Amino acid sequence: MSNVSMRRVVITGMGAISPFGAGAETLWQGLREGHSGIRPLRHPDAGRLKVKVAAQVPASFDPAAHIDERTLPLLDRTSEFALHAAREAISQSGLDFGDGVLGLRTAVIVGTGVGGETTQDEQSKRLYADNATRVHPLSIVRLMTNASASQISIAYGLRGPTFAVASACASANHAIIQAGQMIRYGLADIAIAGGTEACITYGAMRAWEAMRVLADETCRPFSANRRGLVLGEGAGIFVLELLEHAQARGATILAELAGSGMTADATDIVSPSADGAAAAMRQAMVDAGLTPEDIDYVNAHGTGTLANDSTETRAIRLAFGAHADRLAVSSTKSMHGHALGASGALELVAVIGALRDSVVPPTANLDQPDPACDLDYVPNVGREMPVRAALSNSFAFGGLNAVLALKHAP
Amino acid sequence: MNDTTQQQVFDIIAKQAKIDVSTIKPESTLKDLGIESLEAIEVIFDIEEHFNINFPDQQGANFDSDTAQSLVDAVQKALDDKVAAGEGSD
Repeated sequence: MSNVSMRRVVITGMGAISPFGAGAETLWQGLREGHSGIRPLRHPDAGRLKVKVAAQVPASFDPAAHIDERTLPLLDRTSEFALHAAREAISQSGLDFGDGVLGLRTAVIVGTGVGGETTQDEQSKRLYADNATRVHPLSIVRLMTNASASQISIAYGLRGPTFAVASACASANHAIIQAGQMIRYGLADIAIAGGTEACITYGAMRAWEAMRVLADETCRPFSANRRGLVLGEGAGIFVLELLEHAQARGATILAELAGSGMTADATDIVSPSADGAAAAMRQAMVDAGLTPEDIDYVNAHGTGTLANDSTETRAIRLAFGAHADRLAVSSTKSMHGHALGASGALELVAVIGALRDSVVPPTANLDQPDPACDLDYVPNVGREMPVRAALSNSFAFGGLNAVLALKHAP
Repeated sequence: MNDTTQQQVFDIIAKQAKIDVSTIKPESTLKDLGIESLEAIEVIFDIEEHFNINFPDQQGANFDSDTAQSLVDAVQKALDDKVAAGEGSD
């Protein structure tokens, strides 16, 4: 491991499209202020749905304002989000791929839980409900799960390892970890990585309703009156870079991706296991060369479901021991909702903001303490405090855990 | 009618739990019968499909802790509500 860990990975750009609108800074400012992106559901079939709220990208988001008209017809909403966020991140990084050489050493790895769900839903409706005889000829290139990664690669001429990662709600974290490993192991010097999701379709919403895990009014992680998750959407894309590469060109470093942990519960397809999550957190700390006492903040998976929040609390106690009581833990899903395969990416924006500005974003809507959730969740109001290092948790249906360890820029 | 509803609900539970229907007692919870998590959601779905009713969401609660009798009562209430709403003949 020693010569591998010589290659350190830093983040030199971030971009996001979220329920707060376009821009990673917009998202971060909303989260640190404790604002909510959860609104009444905006959908043509909202009247036929039980679910009444969602954390949707605002209707003012206009892909045509940012993406050229020849590319637009090729894109599902997931790729519109991803391309938009990638442009912001790459622009912030100051990297120029125009010479055609740097692109060879650049990977593109984008997580998504379900891929082109909007396209899938629209074309299925045409076939099965409208009895249309034809579907749109670009349906396949829009809906394929790797479309977002491929579109970013094409837009910037990035010719390194490029693919999608799918692990439901942990997709973004798995993608970011994979990208970091690419750089560590010398397969790339730069990676464009993150997650994207746009899954607020009639079909998907009905499926979530049937599972009975959606909250009816808002998302209340760790609160005794929590009633489930609120679906969200959006994308977060980052520029990961070899430390030496970033330093050599005098780039502004936002944070260091110091380590990661990945485990599977291998128990139940939905019920989470505290052991699996704790093992991933421990692994991330060891990989980063950090002890529990070095960590000041954990951005929790914190979905607001009965099962997750108490199990995650137990997992944090298992991983951190006595230090668990000195940690700030918050779930920003209380504000940006659960964007499934993009969640970890939106949450990484929050963690980078916390490290940079020394402010921990709150857990909104936490108004009834639950004895089974007994950590410091920074309820309702953000907190100014130094954050030396942080973990960001993502746990997926299927029992898949992916945890990032972040440190201050070196 | 009540017995019939009860019998039908118990049959659905027995099928999911893969147990003899005679082992189900009104006070048995789904968890007692070995039905947890997603399987409990499936039982609810099967009951809704069978009777063509919609159970309200049990926000913040687990179906695992529902007793067989409480499910029968909930079905009966949903059927009564349907009749009251004039939809009883569909």
